[in-house]
Amino acid sequence: MNIRMIAKYWRTILIVAEMNIRQQITDGFILFTVLFQPIIIALLGLWMLKDKGPDAAIFVVVGSGLTGLWSSLLFISGNSINFERWTGTLESLVAIPTPFEVIVFGKNLANVAQSLLSMALGYFVAAFAFGYSLEIQQPLLFVVSVLLSVIAFVSFGLIIAPIFVMNPGVRAWQNAMEFPVYVFCGFLFPIALLPGWTTPISYLLPPYWAAVALHGTSTAGASLNETLFAWGMMLLFSLIDLLIASRLFKMMLYKARADATLGME
Amino acid sequence: MKTISNNLRLFWQGAILSYVALFHWMRPIQYTASKILMPLAQMFFFVYLGTYATSADNAAFYIVGNALQIAAVSGIYGMTMSIGGDRENGTLGYIFGAPANRLVVFMGRAFMNIMDGALGVVIAFVWGVLLMGLDLSNTNIPALALVIVITTISTCGLGLLMGCLALITVNVMFVNNFVYFLLLIFSGANIPLGDLPVSFQALSFVLPLTRGITAARSLVSGASLADVAPLLWGELVVGFVYFMLGYFLFTAFEAVAKRRGTLEVF
Repeated sequence: MNIRMIAKYWRTILIVAEMNIRQQITDGFILFTVLFQPIIIALLGLWMLKDKGPDAAIFVVVGSGLTGLWSSLLFISGNSINFERWTGTLESLVAIPTPFEVIVFGKNLANVAQSLLSMALGYFVAAFAFGYSLEIQQPLLFVVSVLLSVIAFVSFGLIIAPIFVMNPGVRAWQNAMEFPVYVFCGFLFPIALLPGWTTPISYLLPPYWAAVALHGTSTAGASLNETLFAWGMMLLFSLIDLLIASRLFKMMLYKARADATLGME
Repeated sequence: MKTISNNLRLFWQGAILSYVALFHWMRPIQYTASKILMPLAQMFFFVYLGTYATSADNAAFYIVGNALQIAAVSGIYGMTMSIGGDRENGTLGYIFGAPANRLVVFMGRAFMNIMDGALGVVIAFVWGVLLMGLDLSNTNIPALALVIVITTISTCGLGLLMGCLALITVNVMFVNNFVYFLLLIFSGANIPLGDLPVSFQALSFVLPLTRGITAARSLVSGASLADVAPLLWGELVVGFVYFMLGYFLFTAFEAVAKRRGTLEVF
């Protein structure tokens, strides 16, 4: 997977993304993960942080949206290849001339893009249910942060999916991987509250840099340099993730063909 | 006498076999991930969020609330999948076809979830003491153990009711997740009940966990078993009502599914 491939196959990526959204729109589990869970977390956060005022409210709205992005990436994008296995379409997708990672990229893009809805809904919950007048402090920088976050999340998802396929043992940890990322990435509270030894773990997680950029630009709590640094880290991690993903997809497909386990879990 | 021994056998076999078969806890790694680390991570998240929202002095409030909330992992997810799993695995028809006493089958299904759920809460309290500094020096430990068992039983009652819905809907995970996360709000695990709007408080009091969490917090603060006894009776009554509702709904859905021929239709 590389940038050239994305440019060449952008039409395919968009069509896959559209198909993916159409397929998932009626799935209760996906609807819950993408929309309802982040809204419930937003409600909880807004109630718990109500004494901290409107600044905390926008922090909660953005943070709960990030929880939706991560949960969607972990449970939906993480299983995006396995889903094709379960539905018996994996062999066909692997056999077509379009590289398989392009298909998974499109699926991840759809998952991450639809998860952004939770942030918008969280905004309305905060505005209507709690009466907050919320304002994004640096709208332009926020939009750029959202775009870079989408790229970072999608790229990260490209690593998770083949790892889950090649190592079912790792997938068993899926349930245990949801909340630690909420904690280590500072989605709803600053990581300064955590013990110092956990900080390097946060720095190694792309969602942490997304949280830094989105929280920083929505509350104006970060300087321009800090925001630019977070953007740079997201781009750097995206490139690294794409390189690793490229290797992982080759390994996964070779192994599946050699072991004749393409359609088998 | 023979009926009693048959029912006891059915209870034990049902309890153990359904648990092993339906949960696929064949490998310790899966159990560790879903039943030990996931609850710990969730507890950490809400304890940090709570102490960030209020103050570090309130850590015990969030630790106790979220430790008890772990009962819902087995109570809601476990119970629902105990029943819904049969439908998914195509074994529901055999259960409905068997002459076995439905109530005994039900109790067998619930038993392991109650044991497992209570163990999960105990583990959560151990994490709370070891990693988060929860002080249990003033706590009547046997009374706290009783609170844990009763709260888990009542939560399994709600899970049983949810499990019945698994007989008529394919979106059972949606229902499960929704109830589980709503409990995080309405049980008082993370938001003091007094802070909720009055209508929401009324909802809290018909839910399991609410009284159990309040009782556990009182015990950790030094209250005696007698002080929390009314709360425990209330929790038991709530659990019993849910169990009975679940049982009657199960028999009703069984009749409907048989009449319509939709036993395993998705």
